[in-house]
Amino acid sequence: MEFKLSGDRLMMRTIEVLIVIIIITSAFIISSFYAVLPQPRRVSPLNLRRIALSTLQTLDAGYALSETVFKDETDPAWAQLQIALSACLPPNIVYNLTVYEVQSGNETELYRYIKSFSNAQNLGIQSDASSYLVASSNVTFQVTPEKIGEHGGGGTLYILNCSDSNGWWITGYTAQSLAADLYNLLSPYFQNTIMVKTTTQLGQILNGTSLQGETLQNAVVINTFGETVPIPAGYYSSTDIGYDPVSGHTYHYAKYCYTLGQKVRLYNWTWASIVGWPFYYVSNTVSLNSSQNGWGIYGMVMVSSYGLQAFLQGLDNQAYSYSTSSTGSPGVVYLSAQAQYYSNYYGIYPSPYQTSTRALPSSIQTAFHLTVSTLIFNPVNNYYAGAVYRHTGTGAFLALGLARTPDIRLTALGLLSYYKPRLYRSEYTATGTSRLVVLQLGQVGGI
Amino acid sequence: MAGSTIDHLVSVTVFIGALLLFISLFNQTLQTAVLYQQHRNLAAKCSDLLDNMLLTPGIPSDWGKRDSAPIGFGLQDPEFTQYRISPFSLMRLWSSVGEPVYYPKTGKTYSNATVGFGDYLLMPSASAINYSTVTRLLGINGSYGFQLTMTPIVTVSISEVQSKNPLKIEVIATGKGFPLANAAVSYCFLTVSLTGGQQSYPAYTTTYGTIYTDETGSALLEFSEINDDEISYAFIAYAHISGLVGVGYHQRVTSDTQYVIPFIDDLETGRVLLAHSYDVHYLGPPVAEISYNATFVLLTEDFTLREISLGADKTGKVNYGEGNPYKVVTIPTYNPGILVITYRKSATEGGVVMMPWGLSSMAFSVVFGGDPSNKEWVATDLRQVIVNSIAYQATLALWSLSYQVTG
Repeated sequence: MEFKLSGDRLMMRTIEVLIVIIIITSAFIISSFYAVLPQPRRVSPLNLRRIALSTLQTLDAGYALSETVFKDETDPAWAQLQIALSACLPPNIVYNLTVYEVQSGNETELYRYIKSFSNAQNLGIQSDASSYLVASSNVTFQVTPEKIGEHGGGGTLYILNCSDSNGWWITGYTAQSLAADLYNLLSPYFQNTIMVKTTTQLGQILNGTSLQGETLQNAVVINTFGETVPIPAGYYSSTDIGYDPVSGHTYHYAKYCYTLGQKVRLYNWTWASIVGWPFYYVSNTVSLNSSQNGWGIYGMVMVSSYGLQAFLQGLDNQAYSYSTSSTGSPGVVYLSAQAQYYSNYYGIYPSPYQTSTRALPSSIQTAFHLTVSTLIFNPVNNYYAGAVYRHTGTGAFLALGLARTPDIRLTALGLLSYYKPRLYRSEYTATGTSRLVVLQLGQVGGI
Repeated sequence: MAGSTIDHLVSVTVFIGALLLFISLFNQTLQTAVLYQQHRNLAAKCSDLLDNMLLTPGIPSDWGKRDSAPIGFGLQDPEFTQYRISPFSLMRLWSSVGEPVYYPKTGKTYSNATVGFGDYLLMPSASAINYSTVTRLLGINGSYGFQLTMTPIVTVSISEVQSKNPLKIEVIATGKGFPLANAAVSYCFLTVSLTGGQQSYPAYTTTYGTIYTDETGSALLEFSEINDDEISYAFIAYAHISGLVGVGYHQRVTSDTQYVIPFIDDLETGRVLLAHSYDVHYLGPPVAEISYNATFVLLTEDFTLREISLGADKTGKVNYGEGNPYKVVTIPTYNPGILVITYRKSATEGGVVMMPWGLSSMAFSVVFGGDPSNKEWVATDLRQVIVNSIAYQATLALWSLSYQVTG
């Protein structure tokens, strides 16, 4: 055969094909060079990150990890942790566990190395890690409540703790002990919490004069005397202010309850009655020392059901009319869903079911322009065993128509459900309270 | 002209030959890449599916404590978060390993997760969840096959070194990759007393204690009160170190042909049937009535066992054949524990059998799903989990049934 590269070009196509083959071969070699197939281990890898995380969670299931990482670096617990970690993992998996302390700066977080241990020089060709934040068991996380009135007016809590009054239907307690418990429960939520120690001081705030420079408007007043309400001597017991002079009106001090209703309206107070039939008696152990309430308790005068009616008239700014009020006895009542939610939120856990024998009828809403803004107990047959009634104008009234003895946690729960102050929990990464555990895993053996 | 023709023929032949060769070479590379993608996808699917099983409780969330079938599959303990698994959901998985047991007196077949003689877990087929149901609930029916294995991380092996004067028991605690050196071992030693008249029930005494393993994870216990190798006993040990907990057990019996077999009858009410062993596997005459004394023990937080009364049904007698119905005990709690049944055939023959209430109480393993052998490619992944304070390793083997690259 004769090759001719020029002239008649007898073998030109064969040469072209050879050139094409060279080009394709080069393309194959070059593409094979770059198309590196993965190592067999990487074809179907273990998810080392998830294994590391689940291992850390397993070791911390009984908080053993959390305890150990806060111990001194020479403590034997570290060796036990390493034994447990080594026992957890399959023999072909190597690890490196490192603990850092989390230090919070103003805007950044710093991680300070604490300790590390490993069971291999290196973690092989492929490794992955998971981190796990643990908190010290010695840390108490602080909860700071929002103060009621912080973003508006008010924020004062008055707790009636008058030493010159007696209580009724608070059997087993004294008003003073209830006041102390209420103070502990509720004072963190208010800007000012003031114990009203005498009826004279009560008269002072009724006059619109603050006791300690506090804001009087929009305050909350809790009457810890049960069915009794303290009555100041003098002006607030005087004719047509606290005393109804009409001879046919047996329960003369109903007028005082009317005056109280007007004051609640005037100052936009929230008046809280902790148990029973509100305003059923008035009490002043000095000025009423020769009177008894019909049950042998001196310093107290019965107002009967007229007191509640008069109070609601005053709250609604109606004219005073000497007339009776009514309550119902629905029996066992249950906390509303709203109250249960706030029970969990504020960590106040009264019994979810109570006995009610003095529940207010729903008809007072229309008669006195009230709206149930917070339901403490579910209504039963149109009776509210516990609710906060908001007047369409100003003023509110919390009434717990339960049987004695009172559970003041319900009063606290009702008020908090009504005002809903937020709880601010402390930073999780406070200095010295948290440590970061990083577990890095690698596979050994094979290729 | 002839030269040109030859040139055409040679060039076309060589070109086609070369083209076929290169197509073949490139195809090989592409095939490898496709397989790589397929296997990567399978591995990712395996990891996702395992997390899906372990990090969701299923629907309803307490399906492990019911007899009805779930409508969503998941094994997480609904009372916890993270990798915490319900011991009762695991109990309902149909075992792929144990031979199913048929009990003629109920006419039911039971899933068999029994570990060996004296350590039973028999779940009725109506209550057990089978493989096809789970693949359907997981949405992988027809596309993937799997096998889920739950094995305890810590193996506590217990063996009898010396049978009497004194009885010596060796406990060896090992993890997956390391012995549990210097671990605390809390144990319960239960001895069976067969004394009393012909009609009497077996009595038992329990002893509790704690020892520590040495550097090799081994510990030796001596019980000087055992002076006769005819005394039956059960030994339960919990080994724990730095949050890692394992459990082991060992029994010695003097009657290993006629004994009591517990069958779970109703998971929801805790009803357990007690059957005579001859009703399950007849070993020939003579047949003796067996009296039993059942008790239920709970593992407390300090790794001691607390006994719970089973009421009036705790003692009874069972026999073989028609006219001798099974007996019933009811476990009054959903706290995981161990049903311990001491039995007495005669004044010299008896023993003790146990049944976990909640899979982890006796560190039973579970193998659930299909058989991965002879599959083209099987991806595996694992997680460390907690089953009622006992550390387990969950391993999922997954294979494709369609060989499709889906992602």
